[in-house]
Amino acid sequence: MEIAVVGREEFVTGFRLAGVRKVREVPGDDIAGMERVMEELMKDREVGILVVMDADFRRISPALRKAMVESVEPVVIAIGKIEEVDLRERIRNVVGVDLWK
Amino acid sequence: MAIKDTVKPTRSELLELKKKIKLSEKGHKLLRMKRDTLIMEFFKVLNRARDIRTQLLAQYRTAERKIALAMSVEGVIRVKSAAFALRDKPELRLQSKNVMGVVVPLIESRGIRKAVHERGFGIIGTSARIDEGARAYEELVENIIVAAEVETTIRKLLDEIDRTRRRVNALEFKVIPELKEAAAMISFRLEELERENIFRLKRIKG
Repeated sequence: MEIAVVGREEFVTGFRLAGVRKVREVPGDDIAGMERVMEELMKDREVGILVVMDADFRRISPALRKAMVESVEPVVIAIGKIEEVDLRERIRNVVGVDLWK
Repeated sequence: MAIKDTVKPTRSELLELKKKIKLSEKGHKLLRMKRDTLIMEFFKVLNRARDIRTQLLAQYRTAERKIALAMSVEGVIRVKSAAFALRDKPELRLQSKNVMGVVVPLIESRGIRKAVHERGFGIIGTSARIDEGARAYEELVENIIVAAEVETTIRKLLDEIDRTRRRVNALEFKVIPELKEAAAMISFRLEELERENIFRLKRIKG
């Protein structure tokens, strides 16, 4: 299994330098392209962890974002504040108290 | 439709209901214990998840800064060609472990941190800035793997806590009260029949 990264050039270049091979460069304004690539990587059985940027994650469709947030194979990590917000909301719904802060 | 509307008021039904009430109360107690233990496990993982998230964001900002510096000094083409020269890719191995009946992932990684000579792009052809950028991203990737494991564990625990909580509430507020109501109704009906019987016998005797 390996790590995959999706995002703009400036986001993915650094991960290439760390040795990540499954890198998909998508321009920031191409939301449809971003969604297509994310769906493709979500179905790829070789991908164990999918890394995205929170600014891009915020702009994709709610249905896809929900599927990605709930996915455990691959695990999706959005770098930034948004994943924290989703997880914080889930904790508040289940436990009843905001335990994240 | 409530149980009391469908059940026949007989002694055997009353015995069956009493057995069901006992079983439901036992199940309720066990599920409550399971829910409480899951919440305790969840708290243990939560603190770790919070720290990792904070660390991840800080590491990303550092790595971003270093790679931006490398690109501005060395040029984008040089940084990208160094990236393409890399020999090995990080590999992940997904295993699972059981936490209170919840299957959570255990991710092992290999080949992330590399020494300068192992990267493949040579010491002479590149500068220290590219090496620093690569090191910063390698550390970030390591932390991303830990974050992935911990956050998946949290989500799975939350799902199980939610499921268990619903079952506890269903038993506590719906199933057990309905069973008790039906049992009370049958007891009352049987007592009434008993009283009618006594009255009838007294009339016949009289």
